[in-house]
Amino acid sequence: MKRKRPLMRSGGDRMVVGIKDTMKLIGILVIAGCAVFVCTLFLNYNVDLAARKGEILTQAGMAMYQAQVSTGKVVAAVSGGCLALTSVVMLLFYIKNYIDTHSKELGILKALGYSSLKIAKRFWVFGLSVFVGCVLGYVLAFLYLPSFYALQNAEHLFPEIKVQFHLSLAFLLIGVPAMVFSVLAVLYACLRLRRPVLDLLREKREHKTKVPRRETRDKPFLKALAGSTIRERKALVFFVAFSAFCFSAMVQMSMSMKDLSSRTMAVMMITIGLILAFMTLFLSLSSVVKGNTKTIAMMRVFGYRYRDCSRAVLGGYRPISYIGFAVGTVYQYVLLKMMVEIVFADVDNMPEYGFDLKMCAVTFVLFILAYELVMYGYSQRIRRLSLKSVMLE
Amino acid sequence: MISISDIVKSYGNAGNKNQVLKGISLQITDGDFVVLLGASGSGKSTFLNVISGLERPDSGSVVYGTNDITKLTDEKLTQFRRDNIGFIFQQYYLLPNMTVEKNVRMGADLAGNRAYREMINAVGLEEKTGKYPSELSGGEQQRVSVARALAKKPKVLFLDEPTGALDEQTGRQVLDHISGLHKEYGFTMVMVTHNQNIAEMANTVVKMNSGKIAEISVNETQKTAYEIGW
Ligand SMILES: Nc1ncnc2c1ncn2[C@@H]1O[C@H](COP(=O)(O)OP(=O)(O)O)[C@@H](O)[C@H]1O
Ligand SMILES: [Mg+2]
Repeated sequence: MKRKRPLMRSGGDRMVVGIKDTMKLIGILVIAGCAVFVCTLFLNYNVDLAARKGEILTQAGMAMYQAQVSTGKVVAAVSGGCLALTSVVMLLFYIKNYIDTHSKELGILKALGYSSLKIAKRFWVFGLSVFVGCVLGYVLAFLYLPSFYALQNAEHLFPEIKVQFHLSLAFLLIGVPAMVFSVLAVLYACLRLRRPVLDLLREKREHKTKVPRRETRDKPFLKALAGSTIRERKALVFFVAFSAFCFSAMVQMSMSMKDLSSRTMAVMMITIGLILAFMTLFLSLSSVVKGNTKTIAMMRVFGYRYRDCSRAVLGGYRPISYIGFAVGTVYQYVLLKMMVEIVFADVDNMPEYGFDLKMCAVTFVLFILAYELVMYGYSQRIRRLSLKSVMLE
Repeated sequence: MISISDIVKSYGNAGNKNQVLKGISLQITDGDFVVLLGASGSGKSTFLNVISGLERPDSGSVVYGTNDITKLTDEKLTQFRRDNIGFIFQQYYLLPNMTVEKNVRMGADLAGNRAYREMINAVGLEEKTGKYPSELSGGEQQRVSVARALAKKPKVLFLDEPTGALDEQTGRQVLDHISGLHKEYGFTMVMVTHNQNIAEMANTVVKMNSGKIAEISVNETQKTAYEIGW
């Protein structure tokens, strides 16, 4: 005889997030991967270098040692921290989005008597994407480490340094982030789910019921739509700004790096920067378009031109991306200036570093071209939205 | 005058073709109130979408005056809908992130209609202008969509089961608002329903059966939303 399976349990498991859902979190995966890649390179090197400190005898060698150890710490902290922060924001955004779009199913579960915590527990799988990303980043870093070591020691100021595996570092860079993100996912999901069942069932968004000011009340529809698109998804504002920030900072920094340190470092920097920039831009714009599909479809039904739709939905992000670009420019300038003046102060024949206006302008033009191209792609996507498919849902 | 001739429309590909509209012809005079009546799955919505320019037929023509909309480019067709057509759907399709007022302005702005508040008042929602759709009852949401469609000052209004998701009382209320506005503005109105009783409000009743017109009849007297059965 077949054993009866507990009904609630199987139903619940099917309805709440599964591993398949987390595979959509490629953005987090890539960003976590980049963060771990960079951190592994510099931290593993630092540990291995520190082990040979006693064997460094020359004064130039000692100066280089100090400089490299500090650079490693700065780079790992700044880029690792930056990327970790982005993954956190992205994770929270995904969870909020997931709960908003599945609020009916989740509401039904709650109506059946599941506690918020019980449902939220299933969200731990979101940590998996971080885990996978970290493992990938770590493995890739190890593949690259031998060349990186050779590069760092190109002037042979240190004895030869061998790549060593450090278990504690692996745990710190893979285990800890995966666990922290899983716990974070559960806690945040629990927080978001602690709404009245009826609100979830009615797919009620949390609107701040403020009285609209006089001028916003008289805003034409398209302007109001542009405003509310931005306001409804603040995380996306962050991502778009971050994308521009990455592009601006990483491209300009790697151009300067080419003079300051090595070509390989520059290439690595620019690759990571571009991956991050485009990844976040694609993710955020896809999510803008997806989140507004119904709105756009209805506007098209009523006879709004697709150009008006895409301008209203996507246009608001343009100034934000410019701001991100400006912040990135300042950031990379300050960072490099600090590195040159403080970290490398004792190293001989470091070239002077000054702000390169021409390069900034070129980067900006490239940025505008890339950005507008991506925007054009998305506005074509809006053009092709099928009215019927939306209405049949 | 809308002249519809020989509309054929299929879904699916060559191997598995489902002909939904099998050569439909119909004339709709200006200002008329037409009901398309038929069982679920008989192709009413598809027909409505074709004559309103939301979907293209496989063959046949839909001529408004002298303008055959099946021949228009996407751009021109959008322009055509913008200038002429209003829609009301069973599921309301209000914009969830916008207040009642902004939802109505979505229609009004297309016609440059600054007096959209009158339309909100006409459906009795003056108290709710600052509310979001999720804060309204089903009947109220459908009234917003009525105001939104009519704030656009359409020449033809298309309605697909506008009371399909409403109970009797709110359904009657919505229909009453619609027919009142129809008398006031004199637009042409084409409504899809599977409800025999609602057809008694119309002037012309077109019965559809599996992709064809089975019968066209004209009601001598039209009942109001509160006189029909439910
Ligand atoms: N986009 C579509 N793709 C495939 N089949 C469709 C599509 N739209 C409608 N149909 C089919 O066409 C038939 C008629 O549908 P519809 O016009 O919605 O009928 P009604 O509105 O009278 O209930 C149905 O059998 C339906 O399955
Ligand atoms: Mg239908």
